[in-house]
Amino acid sequence: MSDPANPVSQEGPDRTMDHLDEITCLMYAERQLDRERAQAVSAHTQECAACRILLRALERESRLLTRAMLEEDEPLPARLAQFQTHSQRSFQWIWGLIFALSATGLYALYTSFIEPWMTRLEQAGLGGTSLLSVLISQGAFWKGWQSVITLVEVLAMLIVAGFAAVIFRRRIGRRGSALALVLTGMCALLSLPSPASAAEFRHEDRVTIGPDEVIHSDLFVASGRVRVEGTIEGDLIAAGGEIDVTGHVTGDILSSSGTLVVSGQVDGNVRSYAGNMTIRGKIGHNVLIAGGDVNVDRDAVVTGSVTTFGGHLTVDGQVGRDVLAAGGTVSIAGTLGGGLKVRSGELSISSGAIVKGPVDFEGDNPPEVASGAKLASPVHFEKLKHGEDDYRNARYYMWRVIWCAAYILFGLVLFKVMPEFSAECVGMAERYGPSLGVGLLSIPGIFVGSIIACVTIVGLFIGVSTLFLLWAGIYFGLVVAAAAIGQWLLGRTRESWPLIGRMALGMVLMRVAFAIPKVGGWVKLGAVIWGAGAVALALYSRLQPKLPTIQAATVQPAPVATPAL
Amino acid sequence: MNVPGMTETTEAVARARAGDNEAWGQLYKDYAPAIFRFCRRALPTREDAEDATMEIFMKLRDKLNQYDQTRSFSAWLYRVAANHCWDILRRRKIRQDKETEDVETVPLEHPDPSQLDKLIEQRTSEEVREALHKLAPRARMALVLRYYSDMSYDEIADELGVRRAFVGVVLLRARHELRQALEGTAALAAGGTP
Repeated sequence: MSDPANPVSQEGPDRTMDHLDEITCLMYAERQLDRERAQAVSAHTQECAACRILLRALERESRLLTRAMLEEDEPLPARLAQFQTHSQRSFQWIWGLIFALSATGLYALYTSFIEPWMTRLEQAGLGGTSLLSVLISQGAFWKGWQSVITLVEVLAMLIVAGFAAVIFRRRIGRRGSALALVLTGMCALLSLPSPASAAEFRHEDRVTIGPDEVIHSDLFVASGRVRVEGTIEGDLIAAGGEIDVTGHVTGDILSSSGTLVVSGQVDGNVRSYAGNMTIRGKIGHNVLIAGGDVNVDRDAVVTGSVTTFGGHLTVDGQVGRDVLAAGGTVSIAGTLGGGLKVRSGELSISSGAIVKGPVDFEGDNPPEVASGAKLASPVHFEKLKHGEDDYRNARYYMWRVIWCAAYILFGLVLFKVMPEFSAECVGMAERYGPSLGVGLLSIPGIFVGSIIACVTIVGLFIGVSTLFLLWAGIYFGLVVAAAAIGQWLLGRTRESWPLIGRMALGMVLMRVAFAIPKVGGWVKLGAVIWGAGAVALALYSRLQPKLPTIQAATVQPAPVATPAL
Repeated sequence: MNVPGMTETTEAVARARAGDNEAWGQLYKDYAPAIFRFCRRALPTREDAEDATMEIFMKLRDKLNQYDQTRSFSAWLYRVAANHCWDILRRRKIRQDKETEDVETVPLEHPDPSQLDKLIEQRTSEEVREALHKLAPRARMALVLRYYSDMSYDEIADELGVRRAFVGVVLLRARHELRQALEGTAALAAGGTP
């Protein structure tokens, strides 16, 4: 560029006189020179034909550029002509689809599982309109967490696939198509017919499956007394006063009964609501019992774990894995391949007992452990806390304050290290619906996805890293939720320190809310979902073309001062 | 630029801010073609321009409350659009292995005014637009900001993140690139003295 004080310069070896350089001519043509320089250029062009010609050429070039730019060469695409309503509906469309899919899912669930079961119940004599009876009966037919895990796995995979499709949408097509692809897949999955299942129904006062009888399907039984001496090649789903299984069940036993005695062999799980349960035979997988007394006799073998809620648990036989008991009293005299975790009134371990895993006991009194008992490690005893003690203890409040301070410190660091992203997250948190929805989907989705990653070919490292990120995201989510609450109370701000101040205020209020008995846990869960959802949305937004920093515009500049060509 | 009158726009903006969907629809109808053309000039492909236009308006709607009504709406709009498009271009630039934009050190040769005149006469607007897409992102963006959005040098400097004094140089280099693209050769730049 030329000397500002002297815009006329010598350029090129073949010049015989001083001429304006091109940049000066351009800035003069565009009225970007100060008054003094502009006057000097003007005076020069009055006398120098060459510079005048260059100036005019540049002005004509400017006009050509302006004309080429402004010419309405392409009509607004039809896609954009409807954009206003489309964009307005875009979120509604997505959320509408989510709700529609949820409805489809519920419908599929109802038609695939609930309705057939209700039909079976009616056939088995358990028909009725009482919600309570249906719920209790459904409990009896609970197939275990595997089915839920499968569902969540599918959800997680779909969420991951959805995110991947959106991220790579430019490679596989437009966002709409990618989303439509994923959602179509979901719909297709949901609309797939469930596999046909055979089942036999018995409804009599006494039902007996004789020793030579073989049921080649699931058996649904409702009876005062049920005896299974033969073989059931499927699940036994039974409701009755007494159930006695001396035969062989290749599937699970799901029962609700006064007493349940299993002397035979069950290859699957036993899940039961029973007044009393006695196991004398062999259980291939796990035992889950709610209520009453549970006896695992000397000859009994449970390959998996035993989990009981309430009543008295006595284990004289063999349990391959852990024993978990809550409530009542627990007596161990048999062999446990895993650990023992008990939260109950009393625990006694007899001299013949063998426990190969750790023993954790949380109760009112120390456990009674016979000297002959063989334990892998000493019993870890912890006095049962009854909640109200905490509130009387100054340490409780001290730790609350320390945790609150730790959260605020954590938030402060994050807000200073990532001020823009933090502000974006807080902004997203103000969109409660999307934040809660995304949080609700993404937290379990990412969690299950990471677990799947850990155990599949994707690899442990990625899975564990994702879990760690999820954990960090949940804590960050709490900070974001606190900042959003602070903004509600004190008004919005984009500045760093005022935002941190609001976050601190929100965090204090949140921690107080968390401390409320019974309600606090739910408040915390809601805050985590809300905040983590906001973080997920902000991350998603980051993956999209970045939101421009909107600043107040200056007055629109005057158009280029060049006459039309 | 074909934009509606200031008073009418101000009213529409005020109503849109108050949640009037009809007013927002009117604003969109009025400004979407201009913003689409802006994106079309600034971004490499038509699809990019369509996506960007949509995204710009979605974000504008969210941020409408931040607009200072004492200022020009269209200027604010173009500012937002420019930020958005420049962000897209910069992000892609980071991903590109080769970037042909770093030519600031190459001295510019003085053009021959007669050849420049001839070139301007021969080339149509359509050819200029085609040539525009052959330029490096910053050169293209600078020309679009100046000759489409009518931004001042100060605003261009702010958008592109360069010193104000450097804007003229950026524009001049962009013009040289454009001339070369129009010519297909660097013949024009081999000119003599004016």
